[in-house]
Amino acid sequence: MITLQLLINGVALGAAYALVALGFVLVLNATSAVNFAQGDLVMAGGLLAVALAPHIPLPGIALLPLTILLMAALGLILALAAYLPLRNRPPVGVFISTIATGIILQNGATILFGPEPRAAPPLFSGGTVSVGGLTVAEQSLAIIAVAAILIAAQQWVFARTQLGRRLRATAQDPEMARACGVPVTAMILVTFALGTAYAGAAGLLLANRYFVTPTAGGDLILKAYIAVTIGGWGSVPGAVVGALLIALFEVGVSSVLSYPVALGALYATLLVILVARPQGLFGEAARRRA
Amino acid sequence: MTEPLLTAPLLSIDGLTASYGGATALHGISLSLRAGEAVALLGANGAGKSTLLKTILGLIPASAGRVQLDGDDITNLATERRVRRGLGYVPEGRRVFPGMSVRDNLEVASPLGRADRARDVERVFTLFPALAEKTADQAWRLSGGQQQMLAVGRALMGRPRLLLLDEPSLGLSPKLAGEVFTAVRAIAAEGTTVLVAEQSAARALSATSRAVLLRLGRIVHDGPADSLPQETLREAFLGG
Repeated sequence: MITLQLLINGVALGAAYALVALGFVLVLNATSAVNFAQGDLVMAGGLLAVALAPHIPLPGIALLPLTILLMAALGLILALAAYLPLRNRPPVGVFISTIATGIILQNGATILFGPEPRAAPPLFSGGTVSVGGLTVAEQSLAIIAVAAILIAAQQWVFARTQLGRRLRATAQDPEMARACGVPVTAMILVTFALGTAYAGAAGLLLANRYFVTPTAGGDLILKAYIAVTIGGWGSVPGAVVGALLIALFEVGVSSVLSYPVALGALYATLLVILVARPQGLFGEAARRRA
Repeated sequence: MTEPLLTAPLLSIDGLTASYGGATALHGISLSLRAGEAVALLGANGAGKSTLLKTILGLIPASAGRVQLDGDDITNLATERRVRRGLGYVPEGRRVFPGMSVRDNLEVASPLGRADRARDVERVFTLFPALAEKTADQAWRLSGGQQQMLAVGRALMGRPRLLLLDEPSLGLSPKLAGEVFTAVRAIAAEGTTVLVAEQSAARALSATSRAVLLRLGRIVHDGPADSLPQETLREAFLGG
């Protein structure tokens, strides 16, 4: 019974991580740029929910659309300020600008909210539900449901709509996308908005059970990076599966041993995966046919 | 000689100069194409054929000169806006979107709504029946010939007035190259203006009515395809 409860908690944590990794990999694919601010954007989303909560005295789920919208706007600003001016420069320029963005977000959050941990409201009541003798936190189930809906929505848009096709074409070959009439710069802006919105949603989902501090982003970007590496660099399903595996590993091992041991074991497992399958679980060594 | 331009040209290039890889690849090229014309752009490797097509499309910036499409100056327009104005491009090496299905590769290049898009996809499948059987396959799984058909079909999805093709027979077997050029002839016959860059002169001349010869970034001959002097052709390819 405990195993099942741990499994649900692990999947809930993994679902939130998956949103972080998904946003990270979408920007990575569209721009070939590693957005090192992604973890700090999760933190910003969490604190935004904390700041909005007193003004909207409703369950956290009501804050979600506004959080997503405001974070998408922040994503546009990030793209305009930290990516577009450097897009034709060596990639290290974007690395540094996104790291700088993260530092600005961290310090801005510390000034506005102070260093102490904050909690966003639960998505619904914050209680527990009993299913066949199993007591599960309602928040865990809500996190899983919300993350699943957001991931499914991203998949649907990318697979079924013209916007999604344009976003994918931009990610696969931006020059050819232009030559097919796709407004690539607009697609990059949309991708940053989407990636940041998903980071913000993850922030709201995580900030109730796991609290949020201005420095929480460093740990989250590391998780997203590992998820994308395990899943296969650039693979969208790989990022989601990688995030779930990390969370299940974290929750499972830390329940038996401890969190630091779980983290150490996670890095060791990452090394084993990279040695055994360098392209990651979902990556392909070669995809292009002559 | 080339027929006189009875109407305003669809494409008008004037004194176009462009650099590629640090070297000047086009030296003041001037060229006009009438609507409905099929023109072969011939020359040896490094003559500037690909650079000319890419500069017309805006993928390589012009350092001097002007490009006009149907009387409008498009020299400073972004590539995607030139495409929306009526340029279609089939790149060297095909460059289909490898992780997207055949249908998605086609649909992404259309600026139209769902119903018109579907009609245009069917039109491409009529032109290339081999693609109709692979509609859900990811593009990287296609053979080279099928990828080339897909690249041509993708360019047609934008309903171009001027189709630019860069080495469409490169890397294909003679049979497949023949099929691709049969399609090029059909496209030109329907009234789309075609400018096809090729190293295989015989194949390109079979599908066009006019030949433009480039050598070291300059036009050295411009005239009817059926009376291209062999000596001039040899010189353009082999020097001398």
